[in-house]
Amino acid sequence: MVADALSAAGPGPSSGGPGEIRALRHGRTRVLLRHLGTPIAIGVVLGVLYLWVHGLRLDSIERRTLNYTYMHDRVIEHVKLTVVATVIVIAIAIPLGVLVSRPKARWISPVVLGLSNLGQAIPSLGLLVLLTIKFGVGFKIAMFGLVVYAVLPVLRNTMVGIQQVDPALVEAARGMGMTRRQVLFSVELRLAVPVILAGLRTALVLTVGVATLATFVNAGGLGDMIVNGIKLSRHPVLITGSVLTCCIAFLVDWLGNLAEDLLRPRGLS
Amino acid sequence: MFDSSDGGVRIELRELTKRYPGQSAPAVDAISLDVPAGELVVFVGPSGCGKTTTMKMVNRLIEPTSGGVSIGGEDVLRMRPDDLRRHVGYVIQQIGLFPHLTIAQNIAVVPKLLGWSKTKITDRVDELLGLVGLDAGQFRSRYPRQLSGGQQQRVGVARALAADPPVMLMDEPFGATDPITRERLQNEFLRLQRELRKTIIFVTHDFEEAIRLGDRIAVLREGSHIAQYDRPARILGAPADDYVAGFIGTASTLKRLALITVEDAFPADGDPAPAGLPEVDAGATLREALDAMVAHGTEEVAAVSGDTRHRLTYHDVCQAIHRDGQDQEVEPSGR
Repeated sequence: MVADALSAAGPGPSSGGPGEIRALRHGRTRVLLRHLGTPIAIGVVLGVLYLWVHGLRLDSIERRTLNYTYMHDRVIEHVKLTVVATVIVIAIAIPLGVLVSRPKARWISPVVLGLSNLGQAIPSLGLLVLLTIKFGVGFKIAMFGLVVYAVLPVLRNTMVGIQQVDPALVEAARGMGMTRRQVLFSVELRLAVPVILAGLRTALVLTVGVATLATFVNAGGLGDMIVNGIKLSRHPVLITGSVLTCCIAFLVDWLGNLAEDLLRPRGLS
Repeated sequence: MFDSSDGGVRIELRELTKRYPGQSAPAVDAISLDVPAGELVVFVGPSGCGKTTTMKMVNRLIEPTSGGVSIGGEDVLRMRPDDLRRHVGYVIQQIGLFPHLTIAQNIAVVPKLLGWSKTKITDRVDELLGLVGLDAGQFRSRYPRQLSGGQQQRVGVARALAADPPVMLMDEPFGATDPITRERLQNEFLRLQRELRKTIIFVTHDFEEAIRLGDRIAVLREGSHIAQYDRPARILGAPADDYVAGFIGTASTLKRLALITVEDAFPADGDPAPAGLPEVDAGATLREALDAMVAHGTEEVAAVSGDTRHRLTYHDVCQAIHRDGQDQEVEPSGR
């Protein structure tokens, strides 16, 4: 039955003529072109950074940091922190958001929203330090802090996304004999996709920033470069770490924007 | 599910009651009423009188507190609600087309739930689009927002008819459209219904719409109590009480004229019409005939049907309206 509902909701190429499909491809190409600006800008910034660092006379401390292997490892760590945290956030926040938006559970939504607001209001650095005192250091602790911090936007947008679906659509769906589950998966969630994706994008960008703090719990990432740069007064190191972090944030934001445009159900304005 | 080899099936409401917790008076208070197979019954009443609640208990979008509903002799309360609803057409005022699905996919929702084959669904979608007057090739792959309100409501009707349910529930389906579109939709819908003979419960607060569309009208008051349940002409001719009379408003005789056709009014042994009289179509209503008389300052018109021209006089019109008030038997349905 769920499969039925899902196929009912699918874009169904069978129903679109060849012209329709061509129009679809054309639309996708336009979307890609419109999104070309950000990666070009990121490329230019990275190029300038490279030329600048290349032209500097680096001392032995700087050389230990400003080399391909070291930076590659930090970037990978940073992306890993971000991606894993985001996956965990998705796994927690979207089901929770759905649950809280069910008519019978709507009374819990202020409680859940309050708690996750709290999560975001707590200074992330303070939270990480507290967690470290209690549980020690490492990747898992960093992950915990990141997740607490990033859950809110996704949770809130899932709730809002589902609640903003026109009740008439839900009534029509129920009136035609869709089960509650079919209504959820083929109407409510489908129509909430743009709002949920917007929340996810916010969460991702936030996480990239907050992940620089992972260095304080010995979980690596570009925070290592920034903190080292500050502590050892090595500005090229500090600036390189910061610019790389910014570039990752922009890249992630760009990917999110692309996903929003490509995954938005067709037929929505 | 329902045996409906031929048009609609009978709907029976028995002491149907809905009581919401914390409210002293029931929203719907023991309504009993029969909707004969193939007829369109309009529930008309002011907002909050319980007409929509009553209708939604038929497909169990609202669960009755007590009482029963049967469709085609089968007890609705014993069915699985989702199965029941797949066999009862449902049209709402907001239409509720899914914006992320194409017109074809919207119409295909119930057939897909029922597991029809792809080819059967495609054929049915095209057939239905034709039925509601939309070109299948043009509209099939469009999205709802690309359609006008009137076109969307046609799709809404097509979607409700998709699995050919014997019974339809319609909640102010034309309420949100402008007057011109509404009248056109009403006429198209009447033409469709004459062909399909579904059993329909139609909810509206617009009495004119009730007269125009209903085979019977149930005038409801607070708590879904039936003030009068009868044929439109009988309600106009003999309102049960002041409440019903208030609903009809003024000029009820003129409204009744709109229910009688010209060909039902001229005498069987009548004369052929002389030349020079204003002409009306034999299928037009007496209201239109009277309109022609007043407009031309005559007391007679020529009723034209093919090659024959009958004379219809003002006197015939008066006779017809009085006859109509008397010879309609009161049928023992409702209370």
